[in-house]
Amino acid sequence: MNELKNELKKCIQCGTCTASCFSGRVTALNMRKIVMDYLSNERSVDVHDEIWFCLSCYACQERCPRGIKLTEIILKARQRITRKKGLPGRLSLALNSLKKFGALVVAKEEHVKMRKSLGLPLYHAQFDEKARKEIEKLVEKYSEGVLI
Amino acid sequence: MKFFPGCMIHNRYFGIEKSIYYIFEKLEEDIEPLYNFSCCPAPGITKSISDKLWFEIAKRNLNLSDDDIITACNGCFTTLSEVGSTMGREVRHVIEYLYTDKIKEIKRKIAKRIPLRVAVHYGCHFFRPSIHKKFVSSEKPKILDKLVKVIGSESVDYRYKFMCCGGGGGVRASSLEVARELLEMKLRGIKERNVDAIVVICPLCLHQFDVGQKELNQLGKRYEIPTIHYVQLLAIAMGMDIEESGIDMHEITPPQFMEKLIRGESFEEL
Repeated sequence: MNELKNELKKCIQCGTCTASCFSGRVTALNMRKIVMDYLSNERSVDVHDEIWFCLSCYACQERCPRGIKLTEIILKARQRITRKKGLPGRLSLALNSLKKFGALVVAKEEHVKMRKSLGLPLYHAQFDEKARKEIEKLVEKYSEGVLI
Repeated sequence: MKFFPGCMIHNRYFGIEKSIYYIFEKLEEDIEPLYNFSCCPAPGITKSISDKLWFEIAKRNLNLSDDDIITACNGCFTTLSEVGSTMGREVRHVIEYLYTDKIKEIKRKIAKRIPLRVAVHYGCHFFRPSIHKKFVSSEKPKILDKLVKVIGSESVDYRYKFMCCGGGGGVRASSLEVARELLEMKLRGIKERNVDAIVVICPLCLHQFDVGQKELNQLGKRYEIPTIHYVQLLAIAMGMDIEESGIDMHEITPPQFMEKLIRGESFEEL
């Protein structure tokens, strides 16, 4: 993480990130200001809750003339927030269903029927107990104390 | 090749899967389901929790088979190609595959041209982050515009063409209102160009455009622009029945659009 933070010091405050940010058109997300806050006030990226508005579209990161991995920095900061405050909105439900079914989007009975009507097999881990257990173990092992 | 549908296609948009099997059959290429796959896992959401979790679940999926893996979802494509690159594994997006390897053959297998005016939407993770996506421009991709031309449709430019659908990064799950506002910015740009449909190459974008419009309808905002995955459109152009494509299971399906898909334009009429 320190490596990524050091990257922020390369910022020249040109504002290409903010100008490229689709989410920032309608939200408080302003990457240039977030970086400035770190550079001048040593306020870490994870104090800015508005980073949850990031779409992870990678436009800022791709266009940054200093090659700073901005999107990766946002995702890392989110990891630190989730350890302190848990996941926002319906995201904790998503993690729960990953653990339980190996799926973020789970098939209900109606979807099973529709797949069958199209002659398609059921082969998602959700439908195999052994596979489900494997995923459950991975989530338990690697979600690193995130509040589910 | 093994097909990796991801949760969205396996559990919601089965028509995309059906269309892919149909296309591969017409192209006389082998494709089989990747049994016991799980969520890829979704890059934006899972990397907001733990890099290791993201990596290990992807690794499990990649280890289910030694075959090359093909996917029709931008999120699955990003996760599996990034993790796959550390394991020496090739992962392809069906759109990149069709364009790079099969475009000439597709032209020969078209049974009916479908002359639509369409707005193509790439979806961010098809072309960004660009590190493992050297086949495509990270600013203005053209692959999909060329692929819709092959089936006789016209791709029109519109405002915010290369921007996100508004649903990515967990935003649709954590802040629905933001996702909706961004969706409307895209839809307004598309509406201005008076198109028959939006063509996407990712089931999450499809969900955001299609179910998102249904939600907007409930708020009294009507756009009525149908959304279709490119492989559904291609399969129909190759002769598949509309019902098999799953398009009638989508929320926004205006009758004039369905009629255009069914009728098409056979080569005899040209």
